[in-house]
Amino acid sequence: MTDTPTTRTSEGGLSTPVRAVIVLALLYLFLTGVELLGGGFKYLGKDLVDGLFEGVSNPLGGFFVGLLATILVQSSSVSTSVIVGLVASGVVGVDEAVPMVMGANVGTTVTAVIVSLAHIRHAQEFRRAFAAATVHDFFNILAVAVFLPIEIATGFLSKTAGWITDQVIGTSGATFQSPLKQAVKMPAGWVRDRLTGLGAHDDLLGGLLIGIGVACIFVALAFITKNMRLLVADRVEVAINRALGAGSGMVAILLGAVITISVQSSSITTSVLVPLAASGVLTLENIYPVTLGANVGTTVTALLAALATGSPAAVTVAIVHTLFNLSGIAVFYPVKALRNVPIRLARGLADIAYDRRSMAVGYTLGMFVVVPLLGVLILR
Amino acid sequence: MVMSFFRKPDESGLAHIDAQVQRMIIDARHTFDLAMNALTGGPVATVADEVRRTDRQINLTEIKIRRELVVHASVHGGVDTPEVLVFMNMVKDLERIGDYNKNIFDLADDGVSMAEAPDLDLLIDYRDELSSRIALMGELLTTRDEDRARAYIDRGDELRREFDGRIQALLHSTETAMVAVPRALLYRFLKRVTAHSLNVVSGVVMPVDRLDYFDEDEDTRV
Repeated sequence: MTDTPTTRTSEGGLSTPVRAVIVLALLYLFLTGVELLGGGFKYLGKDLVDGLFEGVSNPLGGFFVGLLATILVQSSSVSTSVIVGLVASGVVGVDEAVPMVMGANVGTTVTAVIVSLAHIRHAQEFRRAFAAATVHDFFNILAVAVFLPIEIATGFLSKTAGWITDQVIGTSGATFQSPLKQAVKMPAGWVRDRLTGLGAHDDLLGGLLIGIGVACIFVALAFITKNMRLLVADRVEVAINRALGAGSGMVAILLGAVITISVQSSSITTSVLVPLAASGVLTLENIYPVTLGANVGTTVTALLAALATGSPAAVTVAIVHTLFNLSGIAVFYPVKALRNVPIRLARGLADIAYDRRSMAVGYTLGMFVVVPLLGVLILR
Repeated sequence: MVMSFFRKPDESGLAHIDAQVQRMIIDARHTFDLAMNALTGGPVATVADEVRRTDRQINLTEIKIRRELVVHASVHGGVDTPEVLVFMNMVKDLERIGDYNKNIFDLADDGVSMAEAPDLDLLIDYRDELSSRIALMGELLTTRDEDRARAYIDRGDELRREFDGRIQALLHSTETAMVAVPRALLYRFLKRVTAHSLNVVSGVVMPVDRLDYFDEDEDTRV
C-alpha cells in the first residue's frame, strides 16, 4: 500500500514531462488534421460537395447528422472539430453548422449510457447508474428543444457568437492571422505536396486530404485523452473527493469543466461518474452539475481547432457550441424547479428501466441508433 | 477548490487512503488502551464519552475510506484493483477491532472490575502486548517487512490458542459466574482483536484471495 506512488509512476511507463511532450506533439497532429480536413474540401468538385452536404441545409437534418456522426466516433470533440473544419473550408455555413453542433452535444452522451448498461444485472445499482447517465441526455435534449427553435427563429446563438468573434479576433473578414494556422501550415502543405507528387488531383486529392485529416483528428484526440487521463488521474481523484464534501453546484460545474478540458473528453468525465453513482457514492444531484460542466469543458477542443483554421466563421461555430451549453445551464440550473426537470426525467426513465430492463436497451438503441438513422434518412 | 486542481496533489489517492488507515489504527489502539485500563483499575465514567466518540470516528473513517476507494477505482480503472480490495478488507477489520474495544469497555461500564483480581498481572501483560501489537500492525503496513509480518502472524496464532484455552478452562471451572463470565467474554474479545489484527497484517504477506483465513485451518495458508 505504501509503495503506491511508485506504482503510479511506473503504471504508464513514462515520466510526466515525457508524457506532457507527447501530448503537445499530439495536439500539433490534431491541429494539422483540422488544417488538412479544411484544405481537402477545397479540392472537391462543387457538385460533389453540394451532394454530400445537401441534407444539412435542413436544421433537423443537420442536427441528426451531428448526432449520428458523434455516436459513430463516440466523441463530440472529434465531430465538432470536423464540423469546424467544414465551416473553415466554406462547404458548410454557420447557420447549417449550429444544429450539427447541437446534435454532437446530444450524441456524446452515448458512452456514459453504454457504461451504465454494464450494471444491468444488479437492479438498484443499475437504476442509479442509468439515471446518472441519462440525466446528461435529458439536459441536452431539453437544451436543444429550447434553443434550436430560438436559433432558427432569431439566430440568437450565432449572432451573439459572431459578435464575440468580432470583438476577439477584430475582423469580420474571411480569414484572420492565426499563429496556430501558421504553425500547422508547413506539415499540411508537405502532405498535400507529397500526394500531388504521387499523382493525386482534384476530387482524389481532396478525398485523401480529408481522410488523412479525419484520421489525424481521431487518433490525436484518442491518444491525448489517454495520456491526459494518466497525467491528471490523481488530480481528478482529489477533485472528486473534495467535490463530494463541497456540496456547491457552481464548484461542481467548474470542476466538471476543468476535468473535461484536462482530459479533452466529456465522455471520460461522465463515464467516471456512472460507477460512482451506481455504488451510491454520488447522488444524481451531485452528478448533474458535474455533467453540465463537462458539457462546457468539451467545447474547448473545437475552439482550439477553430483558432487553427484562421476562419472567423469556424471560430463563431465553436463559440456557438460554448454559448449553447452555457445558455442551457443558465436556463436549467439556477432555478430549482427547472433544475429538477432533467433529474426527474432521468429518475423516471431509470424507474421504468428498473422494472423492465429491456426498456433500457430499447431506449439506448432507439435514442442512439434508430432515431438518428431515421432522422438522417428522412430529412436528407 | 477549483484552482487546487492545477496544483500537484500532496499524495496520490492510495497514499492518502494509507494515511487514513494509519489514523484508524491509532484510534483503535487508543480505544483498546482506554477499555483495558477501565477494566484493570483505570477511570471508567470519565473516559466513556471518549471511547464512544473515538469508535464513531473509526466508523466514519471506514465509510470515508470506502467511498474514496470507489472513487479511486472509478478514476484509475483496474490497475490498482488488488490494492483496493485489500484496503476494503482491511478497514472492515479495523472497524471490528474498534467494536470489540467498545465491547471490552462495556464490561467495565457495566460494573466489572478486575483491579483486585488475582490474575491482574496476566491481564496487564495481555493488555500491554496487544496494545503494542496494534501499533506494530501500523508499522508493518508501512515497512512491508514480510519476515516481521510472518513473526507477527505466528505470535498472533499462539495468542489465539491461549485465549481459546482460557475460555475452555473457564467453561469447565468451578468459579462463580461473576468471575467466569466476564473473563470468558474478555478472552473472547481479546481473541477477536488478535484475529482481526492478523487479517490486517495478512495483507503484507498473503495474496488477495487468501486474506482472512486465520480463523481456519493453518493448511489454507501460503
